Amino acid sequence: MNLERLIAGLGLVLAASVAAAAPSAQAILAASDAIRNPDKPFALTVALVEYRNSKQVDSSTLSVYSKADANSGQFRSLIRFVAPARDANKLMLKSGNDLWFFDPSSKASIRLSPQQRLLGQAANGDVVTVNLAKDYQAQLAAEESVLDGDRQNRHCYKLALAAVSADVTYHHIEMWLDATNSRPVKARFYTESGQLLKTAYYRRYQLQLGMERPTETVIIDGLDPNWVTVMRFGDYAWREVPEVWLQRDYLPRFKPE
Amino acid sequence: MRALLALLLLAAAMPASADDADDAALLLADKTATSAEQGKDWRVYVEAAARESRRQGPGLALHGARLSLDARLDTNFAPGWRAVFADRLDMSRMDGVSGNRDINTLKEAYLSWQLQPDRVADLGRINARSGVALGYNPTDYFRAGALRTVVSLDPASLRENRLGSAMLRGQTLWTSGSLTALYSPRLGHQPSDSTFSPDLGATNQRARWQLALSQKLSDALTPQWLLSGGAGQSPQLGLNVTALPNDATVAYLEWSGGRAASLLSQALMRPDDAAFRSRLSTGLTYTTPGNISLTAEYQYNGGGLNRSAWEALRRGPPPAYALYRSVLASLQDSPTRDNVFLYAVWQDALVKRLDLTAMVRYDVVDHSRLQWLEVRYHWSRVDLALQSQLNNGIPGSNFGALPERRLWQALLRYFF
Repeated sequence: MNLERLIAGLGLVLAASVAAAAPSAQAILAASDAIRNPDKPFALTVALVEYRNSKQVDSSTLSVYSKADANSGQFRSLIRFVAPARDANKLMLKSGNDLWFFDPSSKASIRLSPQQRLLGQAANGDVVTVNLAKDYQAQLAAEESVLDGDRQNRHCYKLALAAVSADVTYHHIEMWLDATNSRPVKARFYTESGQLLKTAYYRRYQLQLGMERPTETVIIDGLDPNWVTVMRFGDYAWREVPEVWLQRDYLPRFKPE
Repeated sequence: MRALLALLLLAAAMPASADDADDAALLLADKTATSAEQGKDWRVYVEAAARESRRQGPGLALHGARLSLDARLDTNFAPGWRAVFADRLDMSRMDGVSGNRDINTLKEAYLSWQLQPDRVADLGRINARSGVALGYNPTDYFRAGALRTVVSLDPASLRENRLGSAMLRGQTLWTSGSLTALYSPRLGHQPSDSTFSPDLGATNQRARWQLALSQKLSDALTPQWLLSGGAGQSPQLGLNVTALPNDATVAYLEWSGGRAASLLSQALMRPDDAAFRSRLSTGLTYTTPGNISLTAEYQYNGGGLNRSAWEALRRGPPPAYALYRSVLASLQDSPTRDNVFLYAVWQDALVKRLDLTAMVRYDVVDHSRLQWLEVRYHWSRVDLALQSQLNNGIPGSNFGALPERRLWQALLRYFF
């Protein structure tokens, strides 16, 4: 055994013993991130259905390839619009605040600001593929029972997350995680002024890519609770995403399998 | 006391109301049956349009109709191999226009070979478009001669409905950038009016080449440098760069420069007056919290005419003026030196699925302007749009000389 492995092994043992003694809020958050986001590059399909006042007003399907950045830990994604027909095969690259949109018909690569949402509810992706433990400091706010996405009482840790940098979308977040297994149950996302932006329920846990993961997120708008978006995930697969693909100039080349 | 009681009741009701909203939302999700749709390699739509226009000065309204078929196929037919085909047929009938004709635009037809994830080669007709600006793209060197027909002056439509050029293109990518090289040979002599002509004479009149290098300098900055040349021209250097001043704003700058004759000299075949000339397009796109994107862009064309030269041409022999305008329309360049472009897009404007787009092109040299507005409502497979265009300016000015002063167009598009 070489020295590096020995140090790494000792580190793991130490971390495990600390965790066993009293799981820190940050560790619980990191564990819940690992449940939502696979630890290797992956692909999945997202079906979005949007409701206003209980009526379906829109639906779309996206194909997503994602890979975590080795330095920041944040996910970078190549997104292909599958449906509706008018948007089919349009592409988006999201790498931190670097957002590019590509339309194969016009060959136009357009840089977007984080506030600019060109197509529908894709912006809600940030509620899903984001490693919160990297951008937020967690504190254990309470241990309480809450109704989960299946309207069952679930014993949860309630975490209060505060942004550690200014360039994140949500200033602070309340998150409820299952006390027995750190599964995300529910989250509320806020602005700096305390305005509720979104409520998310994580549900329909299924075995995907080696772990029970939520395959549905229900998002309720904070300003208008009658605006509801259901995001359903499927076609999970491990997919290699070479680093060279995660740049603007590869967008015209990207074609998912 | 009554007020206090009301406050207490309100406080008690609030959590219940939020829970009720959550409960209702989860109930909706329970009933959601939709599953993911399968991706398609093709997109086909048919578009029908009716228009009414009024010419400059007094005159009757003119009417016209158009039927268009637009198809695009992009498929992997073997590991590492990809075929792309894009074509459009426009069948137009207009009052007062001689020679109503059908125009087919073979936009793209090429094969791609991706030997490794970071090495790609393409061969065929390719729409090789460059530029980060919205209204005027000085580094889009392959825009010259690319338009066979114009169905709308919306920049998005002009970019989409055009001919690619026949070329061989190679690209290599690395983690922080890429290098693209292309060669486009001479394959034709002059443009063709024939309905189904591939019109290589419009896009491949002379041999051209281009190099494009992108290199990430920091997390926030990845400029692109271009070098473009060809038979009968000096190489032109180009730069595209974008930045995010804040979460809601994108700033961009597109520049091209090199030795070149003035556009007047090129168009009228006058003696070569080659000098170093720059072209620039720079602007900001700001997005409001309500998702309205507003763009303001300044456009400088160092090959175009300044105020005195433009006035002299307008007051001079009409054939020279007409030839200059016709050559510049083909080159997709501005006849004058300074222009301002404003563009606004409001998605889901007041109601879901309703998009508003507005555009103003203002010529700083002769104060003429073009205003364009589109209201578009879309269902899952159908788009319905109404477009209006108004051109103002003194006779012979950039936009005052356009044949139509006012134009209305209604469009119905169906996606298969």
